[in-house]
Amino acid sequence: MASRIAWDEIPAGTTPYDPENRVIVATGPLTGTLAPTTGRTVMTSISPRIYPRPWYTHSTLGGWFGPEMKYAGYDAIVIHGRASCPVYLEIQDEKVRLVDAQDLWGLDARETQLTLKGRMGSQGSKIQVLTIGPAGENLVRFSSVQHAEENAAAHSGFGAVWGSKNLKAIAVRGTGGVSVADPDALLREVLKEEGDRYSLFITCLFEDGAKKKRPVCSQACIFNCLVSNYGHTVDGRRVPGQCVGGVAWMSEDFMKHTQYSGGGVEIPPSKNFGLCEETSLHELCNSLGLDLWFRVVMQPWFIRCKQLGIHQIRGHPIEPNDLFWFEDFMHRLARREGLGAIFADDLVRAMDELEGELPEELIHLGRELEFDFGFPAHREGRFWDEEPLPFWVISAMMHASTSRDPTIGAHHSSLLLAEFLMVDRDVALQQFRILSQQIWGYPDALEPTFENKAPVAIWSQHQHMLIDSLPLCDFAFPQLVRPIDTLETWRKTEHIVGDLDLDLRLFAAVTGREKNHQEMERVAERAFTLERAMLARAGRDRKMEEAVLAPHFKLPCRADGTLIDEAGFAGLLDEYYSARGWDLELGWPQTDQLKALGLNDVIPELDGYRQNQ
Amino acid sequence: MADKKNIKVDARLCRDCQACVLACSLHHERECNLELARLVVSKDMARYEFDIVICQHCDEPDCIVACPSDAMILDKRGVVIILDDECNRCGSCAASCPHDAIFYNEAQDRYIKCDLCAGREQGPLCVELCPVEALTFVQAEEPVELEV
Repeated sequence: MASRIAWDEIPAGTTPYDPENRVIVATGPLTGTLAPTTGRTVMTSISPRIYPRPWYTHSTLGGWFGPEMKYAGYDAIVIHGRASCPVYLEIQDEKVRLVDAQDLWGLDARETQLTLKGRMGSQGSKIQVLTIGPAGENLVRFSSVQHAEENAAAHSGFGAVWGSKNLKAIAVRGTGGVSVADPDALLREVLKEEGDRYSLFITCLFEDGAKKKRPVCSQACIFNCLVSNYGHTVDGRRVPGQCVGGVAWMSEDFMKHTQYSGGGVEIPPSKNFGLCEETSLHELCNSLGLDLWFRVVMQPWFIRCKQLGIHQIRGHPIEPNDLFWFEDFMHRLARREGLGAIFADDLVRAMDELEGELPEELIHLGRELEFDFGFPAHREGRFWDEEPLPFWVISAMMHASTSRDPTIGAHHSSLLLAEFLMVDRDVALQQFRILSQQIWGYPDALEPTFENKAPVAIWSQHQHMLIDSLPLCDFAFPQLVRPIDTLETWRKTEHIVGDLDLDLRLFAAVTGREKNHQEMERVAERAFTLERAMLARAGRDRKMEEAVLAPHFKLPCRADGTLIDEAGFAGLLDEYYSARGWDLELGWPQTDQLKALGLNDVIPELDGYRQNQ
Repeated sequence: MADKKNIKVDARLCRDCQACVLACSLHHERECNLELARLVVSKDMARYEFDIVICQHCDEPDCIVACPSDAMILDKRGVVIILDDECNRCGSCAASCPHDAIFYNEAQDRYIKCDLCAGREQGPLCVELCPVEALTFVQAEEPVELEV
């Protein structure tokens, strides 16, 4: 839905801060229901973070906003134009108005939400708010749109798009409901009649496994999520943290995993600051409205600066292992002050700014850390996660064909399987062969080789598209592997495939429409293809993908040392584009495909771009 | 009633997933609607604390006494239920409830409250669904007899 609105409404050539740019906030058919994890909300727009040129992309956030929006009667909100002064959008069922927000401008995300809730008096806990912090107001390219304690659409820098529109917040209150076609079927799916169906397969990789009770980040989530944690701030308050916040920030020593050495790139281990201090920093990051991922690239980069004898940049001292310096740096980033003014346009753009002033190694490192068109390296087997062959190859294909870091939406669909390979290679490969045969129709889909990986990449992308569209959480769906409670059980298990029909049954229970995997994949392919057409509209093609991405994969994988040269990377693209049916020269969908997917209206525009190549 | 069971609430364990609320409205009203549930889960964002409001099925229910139209009755299980046809919408029951656990739904102009999922053999759905045992179905505590 969001991609269609964007294709129809955002004119070609629109830049992120152009009033013609749209911010689309969208829900899906399962939003607001009891179907597990369906509290998520999708946001799309032209992103200012993407480098070297912006294009259309998406973010999702968990929480309670999407359901409330649906209870108010809306499937999507489309924002365009620019207000003459700061405003917030207030929605109470059918009543919609823009309200002067000059008194909110400058408040952090937490203060803004508490203020808006306070204005509602006893009803305050019932309104749900999306808001930007100071970072979004100051057009920081990796600024977030925040919700609740720490839900955020952050990676794509949409906070800055809101800031450019003078939109501080959206507050929504809905008193309606969502009808369910077959309530008994939905209740059956959700009740735990068949054991602990709603736990994650990665549970067995954690020592404390399912025992520890963890927070949820979305309405209707009944999982005990392994990437969630409670922490306590320095002033003693309990707060939740999820994903990179819960795992990396609110941790005793996770940041040391950013360590890497190979191919002329050296990254020293980074430092966590102590549990309470980390929790407070994590809360500050959310309050300022910064993408938590900035730390994963900037802290290691600054530490490398120190190792190379660089102790200040343009007169600003750098002390990345000092808590107070780091906290101050975050404030400066959000307000574009001092050193923050240089890095508020993100690390990769700061490298353009600082080229010639700093050693070439640092410039090169900064560009590699955000090699993915400006997004931090993630699940690509080098700097962050250990993704041994074949997983980084699958990841590389996904990076080369989507609008942004694609692996954030594919945690459960394929890439987390790498964790099993790291634990026990022989056991994992034996299980993978059975799983591959069942899902992709051939046994070597997950063999540690470079060949025949495109079907897995495409399947994962389509699953990601479905998960964002329904919506569901990608840590929990699709249930590629069934819940396994201990490593001992895992080792003894031959058939690990999970309940892959669960999302279909949830969809049928809510909508009354029975769909099979093939039909759902076609829907996903249509949305994915439309997004690819949006990239073509922005001038992205195979040539750019090879030039920008191929060098990164010449670095050896940190888990197994495997790598690929430019010719090999081109071979991966050949395989991927062929499997997609795209043309091999530009990597764009072909006319016949567009017709078959019902995207006839896209054909003339794409033909026009082809002729201009 | 010796074998009377009740829903025990420990809001400290709550995570605000709202699954209990959604399931409640789905079971009773066949749709997912927070306004039509028989319990309310809310969050104080400033303190990151949760509150769960649900009928405590008092041994001597004030709501029955307060109702002027005999719409609040004890069913065979000893559970207070609302006879909607008898209800005159005066709101006395809600006003008398010490737990604020009788809710007025404006859209449908009626009062609703927990009936412990009358007719459901497995007991209250919200309890069965709660993943963190913030809601449990336990033997009702015997009333404490105060010495005068």
